[in-house]
Amino acid sequence: MTRVLVLEDDAGLRASLRMVLEDEGYDVVEAAEVDDALHAVAGPSSVDLMLVDLMLGGMDGFSFIHRARPRTEAPIVVVSARDGVEDIVTALEAGADDYVTKPFLVDEVKARLRALLRRPSLGTASPREEADVVVLDAEEGPLVLDRGAATLARGSDQIHLTNTEFRLLSVLADNLGRVLSRGALLEHVWDQGFFGDERIVDVHVRRLRKKLETEPSSPTILVTVRGLGYRLDAR
Amino acid sequence: MTSALARRGLRASVTLAFTLGALALSAFLAFGTYFSARHFLVDQRERTAMRQAFTDGALVRESLQTSGAQVSEVLGSLSPPAGAVIYVHRNGQWYSSALDSAGPELTADVQPVVADGSVGVGWTGATDPSAVVVGVPLPAVDAEYYEVAVAEELDRTLRTLSIALAVFAGLTTIGGAIVGRTAGRRVLAPLEEVTSAAVRVSAGDLTTHLGTTQDPDLAALVGSFNHMVDALRERIEQDARFAADVSHELRTPVTTLTTSLSLLERSPDLSPRSSEAVRLMADELARFRRALEDLLALGRLDAGGHETEPVRTGADELVRQALRAWGQPYDHVEVDGPNVAVRVDRVQMLRVLTNLFRNAELHGGGLTGVTIVAGDDVVDLRVQDRGPGIPAADRDRIFERFARAGGQRAGTGSGLGLSIVERTVRNHGGDVWCSERPGGGAVFVVRLPIDGAETP
Repeated sequence: MTRVLVLEDDAGLRASLRMVLEDEGYDVVEAAEVDDALHAVAGPSSVDLMLVDLMLGGMDGFSFIHRARPRTEAPIVVVSARDGVEDIVTALEAGADDYVTKPFLVDEVKARLRALLRRPSLGTASPREEADVVVLDAEEGPLVLDRGAATLARGSDQIHLTNTEFRLLSVLADNLGRVLSRGALLEHVWDQGFFGDERIVDVHVRRLRKKLETEPSSPTILVTVRGLGYRLDAR
Repeated sequence: MTSALARRGLRASVTLAFTLGALALSAFLAFGTYFSARHFLVDQRERTAMRQAFTDGALVRESLQTSGAQVSEVLGSLSPPAGAVIYVHRNGQWYSSALDSAGPELTADVQPVVADGSVGVGWTGATDPSAVVVGVPLPAVDAEYYEVAVAEELDRTLRTLSIALAVFAGLTTIGGAIVGRTAGRRVLAPLEEVTSAAVRVSAGDLTTHLGTTQDPDLAALVGSFNHMVDALRERIEQDARFAADVSHELRTPVTTLTTSLSLLERSPDLSPRSSEAVRLMADELARFRRALEDLLALGRLDAGGHETEPVRTGADELVRQALRAWGQPYDHVEVDGPNVAVRVDRVQMLRVLTNLFRNAELHGGGLTGVTIVAGDDVVDLRVQDRGPGIPAADRDRIFERFARAGGQRAGTGSGLGLSIVERTVRNHGGDVWCSERPGGGAVFVVRLPIDGAETP
């Protein structure tokens, strides 16, 4: 069963989220504090998704994301009463995959969880005739994306990707050499329509570049097409 | 006086007061100087004339006594001083050194005194300029001796003096006016500073402060003005913070309520009555949640922030996206003129358009079309409905917070939708207003600046 961690200090909201998620068929682990949540992440039965409130002053939530991210690739969805630009970007850069601000509609949250939990290899509607194995950089490495095995490797080194980073890379690889707009990426990777925040895409692209590119500040594989979007080029 | 002062203005009044003061003072001094100088000079002139007359009179008396000569002969042998004419009155007969017959007329004022046997001094205006007349009785020869001296030099001196004094008084008056103007400006300079500061404050710049001053007369004004601005800003910030704090505190409870209620709504064990009650709660809660979201959005707009990075997008693309997001089976967009690009916070501007669509749906009998009209620098997005239109008197008011069309109380919106529209458009450097459509119905016009930059 899919295990979902809910880190939320408000008992009422935590309980109601647990019930809603249980109705959806998830196995819910509740945590009111960062330490309990970290225990759950490090525990024997790992979690598949985390719903994290930034909580008081934000520091608790941020510190949880920082400490949990190295231990798991499972998606982290930030639930926050804070809608400041800095909070959102800080949370995403710390390793969160998506965020929702309160007051949210529970249907919206459920839809986002479903999008993030989709198997990476099934993440796109593109036909399967595309090769499962894509060589992104033949010169150095080589850098190979194997979508069948859900791995990215440079030479013999495995590169760690979060589920969302992997899904983003897969969608771009399906459209190798073609420009994808931020809106299209939002729709394909996050299942969000017109009101989605395109900064989610930008922050994830930044994170992905740090792992793909030899020179992340002047990318050659995952390139920006100004005014249009992003494109994945194989070298 | 007060109203006259108010009409004239403070600076003009100060200038006028200084001018009149200078005029009065200089006129007083000039007249004083003139009259005392004149008195002294006339006195001098009379003495000189008298001395001369005594000398000449003695000469005439002696000449008449010694030889019993005729008066005309004696006068002929005399050489009167320049500008003076000598007259002798003897036995009812007038004799003159100038051979004229003006004697009786010129000496008329002095004659009675001389006839009484005294020396007479007087002035006559019969000559031009006036002349000093000295009469000396000559009882020894039974005659009256008169000397009439035209006071030409005195007259010239006095005239020069009066011109000099008038010029001096005029210059002093002008000087007074200049000093008055300068003083007025100096005195009013701090007031002008206060005025321009007050104008800035009323325009919304609440960081305005007056510079500190060492002047004890102004320190109180500056201090209380700055204090007033601080208090005003604090008050406004407090109000804004209060609304933001309240909305913020409501976020989690409202989320808990909607989440819990969604569980109830799906519960199969509810009686019809209970599920009816749950449905009512859900509807009201949805409204409440919308109002809260709108309040939060307004709070962010008041803080002036964008929610997402402004991006360049085609005006028609924006409208089509909004229509798709609005989710109504409607796709009628008319583009009048060239298709232009705008630079907008996409999330905020989509909210503007969907708010206008919702407004058309709730109050305008439904959306009938969106027309895009591009001008030189601006593009108008015209959202039209088929409703009764908005009365002209209400067209500004509907953009105020919690204002409802036609004084309607039980609206279906939060009462903030159009305020959000207005605030967002203004933050984008644009404008929004409502007008009438020729065929009936209202049209809301969102005017945005065109992003002229080349596509990056």
